Amino acid sequence: MKAVILLLLVALGSMGASAQHNSFMASYPVSFPMGDLHSYINKPGFRGISFEFNKAISHETYAGLEVGWNVFYQHVTKQEYKDGTASVAGVQYRYINAFPIIVGGKYYMHTGSKAAYPYAGIGAGTVYVERATNFGLYQIYKDAWQFCMRPELGLDLQFSHHESLFFAAKYFWNFNTSSLDGQSWLSLNMGVRVAM
Amino acid sequence: MRFLFKLIAAFFVLTTFRGCYPNGPEYNSDFDLVYTNYSSEFPFSQRQTFALPDSVVKLTGDVVTNPGSPPSMLSSTYSTVILNQLKQNMQQCGWTLVDKNSNPDVILLAMSTTTTNLYYYYDWGYWGWWYPGYSNGWGWYYPGYYPPYVSYYRSGSVFIQMVDQKTVASPQGVGNVPVVWVSILNGLVEGGSADITNRIQTNITQAFTQSPYLKH
Repeated sequence: MKAVILLLLVALGSMGASAQHNSFMASYPVSFPMGDLHSYINKPGFRGISFEFNKAISHETYAGLEVGWNVFYQHVTKQEYKDGTASVAGVQYRYINAFPIIVGGKYYMHTGSKAAYPYAGIGAGTVYVERATNFGLYQIYKDAWQFCMRPELGLDLQFSHHESLFFAAKYFWNFNTSSLDGQSWLSLNMGVRVAM
Repeated sequence: MRFLFKLIAAFFVLTTFRGCYPNGPEYNSDFDLVYTNYSSEFPFSQRQTFALPDSVVKLTGDVVTNPGSPPSMLSSTYSTVILNQLKQNMQQCGWTLVDKNSNPDVILLAMSTTTTNLYYYYDWGYWGWWYPGYSNGWGWYYPGYYPPYVSYYRSGSVFIQMVDQKTVASPQGVGNVPVVWVSILNGLVEGGSADITNRIQTNITQAFTQSPYLKH
């Protein structure tokens, strides 16, 4: 958590040091569960949204804050679950709601094209994860704040000087907590960026 | 180009919010749970006969005030379904039905309980900021009537016990009868009687399916 606070301070500090083109980004993510999350829900999540505010540090470099919401859901048909001599059979409805709060930076590569800019980014922060399993008339609920590292690769396609469409692949690498193993996922985002 | 940009932006927003509500249960059977547990010390394969009462007891409370007289019983509509399905599944597992006075190896006892869950109640805490003398734990009640916007569901359980009739000298002392297998069927008591009947039969069969040690 100290690392998150430090990164946040660095990012916010660098925002104040620049007066260049800032940008606001909104995107729709399709998220693919990885690791422990994949063993719980193995279907991609088609529900979610992501917002970013980025402050220009230089012509190529941005520092910013991202908040998002990713939803995973899976209907598990009737199955039997064993624990010692006990067995329970039923239908399960599994839900994950994850809310990332990430600070980080992006580097845009100027390749000569005036319309397409590949970029790479790295971020760190926290993700609030709610995991609910509806089993019969009962619900098994867990939640946790997990530390997150989030590398990303993207491509920015400019429509005009102020507006662009972008595609990004982001990996939300979440770390274990005492109550819940890290719930990581890979998201493919499509979105719009507006220069402010 | 600006129009295209707005169109794409609108598509993203609509797609996102249209998909914010994950699906959930559609049918009453989606809420059904079947739980079983057993004593690993009990030699099921060495037991052959079972007995079964002709009624299913309706659980109404924790304490039986008059143990000598019959308690409330489940209606014959559903008790017949439960008992017939238990007989069928036990016989398919290789057990033989005998009278309770014919020295059965085990006895199966079935009970049921239902609970009505009302929705019109809301927490007193909403008025705690204003109501004079408010105290934690207060609640509403409607003396002699119900408000018009009552919504409720009924949930229920069927509880089946298999008791060891041969272990007379229980290590727990006289009067403690060992229960060697239990099954609890839990779910909504909603829908037509045909649907409930079908779910009871399916779930009792499931209890036996997930208890392979009962099979000879």
